[in-house]
Amino acid sequence: MNIIEADKIKKTYESNGLSVTALGGVDVAVKKGEFTALAGPSGSGKTTLLNIIGGLDAPTSGSIKVDNVDLAPLKAKALAEIRLTKIGFVFQAYNLIPVLTAIENVEYVLLLQGVGKKERRDRSVNVLEQVGLSDQVNRRPHELSGGQQQRVAVARAIVSEPAIVLADEPTANLDQKTGAKLCDMMRDLNEQKHITFLFSTHDSMVMERARRLIHLIDGKVVKEESKGKK
Amino acid sequence: MKTFFMIGWRNLWRNKRRSLVVISSVALGIFAMLFSMGFMNGMNRQMVENTISTSLGHVSIHYKGFLDDMKLEKSFVPSTSLLDRLESIQGLAFAPRVKMEGMIRSSEASRGVMIIGIDPEREKSVTKIFDYTKKNEKSAYLSDPGRHDILISQTLAEKLDLLTGDKLVLMVKGHDKEIVGMAFRIKGLFQSPLDSFDKFVVFTGITALQEIVGIKDRISEIVIRTPHRDLVDEIAVRIKTFIKTPGVTAMTWKEMAPGLMKAVILFDNMMYIFFAIIFTTVVFSIANTLIMAIMERFREIGVMKSIGTRPSWIGAMVMFESINLGIAGMIAGILMTMIVVIPLSFSGIDFSFYAESMRDWGTGNVIYPVMKTRDLIVCGIIVLTTTIAAAIYPAIKAARIKPLDALHHV
Repeated sequence: MNIIEADKIKKTYESNGLSVTALGGVDVAVKKGEFTALAGPSGSGKTTLLNIIGGLDAPTSGSIKVDNVDLAPLKAKALAEIRLTKIGFVFQAYNLIPVLTAIENVEYVLLLQGVGKKERRDRSVNVLEQVGLSDQVNRRPHELSGGQQQRVAVARAIVSEPAIVLADEPTANLDQKTGAKLCDMMRDLNEQKHITFLFSTHDSMVMERARRLIHLIDGKVVKEESKGKK
Repeated sequence: MKTFFMIGWRNLWRNKRRSLVVISSVALGIFAMLFSMGFMNGMNRQMVENTISTSLGHVSIHYKGFLDDMKLEKSFVPSTSLLDRLESIQGLAFAPRVKMEGMIRSSEASRGVMIIGIDPEREKSVTKIFDYTKKNEKSAYLSDPGRHDILISQTLAEKLDLLTGDKLVLMVKGHDKEIVGMAFRIKGLFQSPLDSFDKFVVFTGITALQEIVGIKDRISEIVIRTPHRDLVDEIAVRIKTFIKTPGVTAMTWKEMAPGLMKAVILFDNMMYIFFAIIFTTVVFSIANTLIMAIMERFREIGVMKSIGTRPSWIGAMVMFESINLGIAGMIAGILMTMIVVIPLSFSGIDFSFYAESMRDWGTGNVIYPVMKTRDLIVCGIIVLTTTIAAAIYPAIKAARIKPLDALHHV
């Protein structure tokens, strides 16, 4: 079953009378339980494609479905609802809410979904344990290292059990060792919890760990490769 | 919503100095508002109380139209049943009076005055003329209502070049329309807080005045003091039911001095306009702070929206930040006011150096500020309205932030 169905996605930006093509007709399908990387150099359209899949940006043409919901006709409020219930986000710069502790950041998504206090707390504690931060739950983001903050961001992304987690260069701000650990942790979550991940990267270490690679160059899919479980 | 309130509160303390500056400005605004309100309440209360205490009383029984035209024809004999029923109301004090316009003459000058004939003992429980009278070896309060003694103010004595013990001639129009004159000895001098009162009013014994004008036991009015000022309207209604003499009615001090009531209302309204101006500047101060805070957190708000926070919740968060600022400022302002106003409400603020003007206002030299629950409620409403008004534009701006623009924001 496809969680993501992107069909002939085009995206062009107008700037100073010039038209710049970021995506030139991309077809991508991601199945449930996949651990897929969008690979390519800077400017290849990885982030643009992730933004369109995540309902943060609209394609110039083409259609996009997330968990069988067509995003094209949806307004801002409905898109916010889709992002809340079906998608988990991990950003390059962690982007936690600075005034909330680690557990409050994780709980935040459940709170928006209207989950009750006790269940919210239990699920958040459980997820923070899974990402190895059970002893850091009451720390605020500035009291955590970059790697720890990104783990909290992953915990926030998976706590509501979304259809897919989108991660935009999640290891870009981390050193090699911490990035590798984070990547392994995400893959473990994929294997053990069957959480679907789609992330962008240009880091060979991350690409090595992906089960499926979609190579993008100049806004087009140039190659796809699948790898078996290591 | 609780979480957004909490986020709003914590956001407030991310830039402590900036928030404290805004909280201080709100607190100072509240302090200025409550202190001036308290001061004005004190002035108004003393102005009203002094007017009641010097002449009006809380309620007066007299002929309809008597206050506009104080003729002897508008005098009446109070029925025994009326007096008995007044006596029966617990805590109520009353005193009969003969009140008329006339003239006093000294060897130096003459002056038009209001002459009030009083029962000295009964008057003590109704007005403060006894308290205002100087008591020393030369000056004393009236003792016998039948003696030809008179109390005049210190101001009038100076103007007519008179001293206690001196004689003056009192001239009035008698019941038979003839002008009658009679010598009176100045028994004492008084000084009330009302300059206009002192310049215009003299007191004699009621019996002496009744004899001179030939009205026997007729009186002009019965002045009443109720146990509490709040009971005035209720008691006036009751008293009206006791009155059987046609044409005679009971009026409250508010009805007798409508100008005073209007002045009090005008002062209150002026204060509210003054506060509206103060808090208009507070609105801009808060709005400016919120816009700065939002621009600083542009990316963060974008992330919140990216992960599914609805625009309305972002707007609510900004609104709570503003309300938190306002409430913190209000609490600080109320505490400041209490620390300053409560001691002053006992000690008073002495304006003796400004005594002449204070006498013109009729407030007395020492003002005792009064804090009212109504003012605290108004203060709460103003703060809430101000902070909500200040947050409207920033909240809309924050709610409209596009997540993608914010994520690209550096």
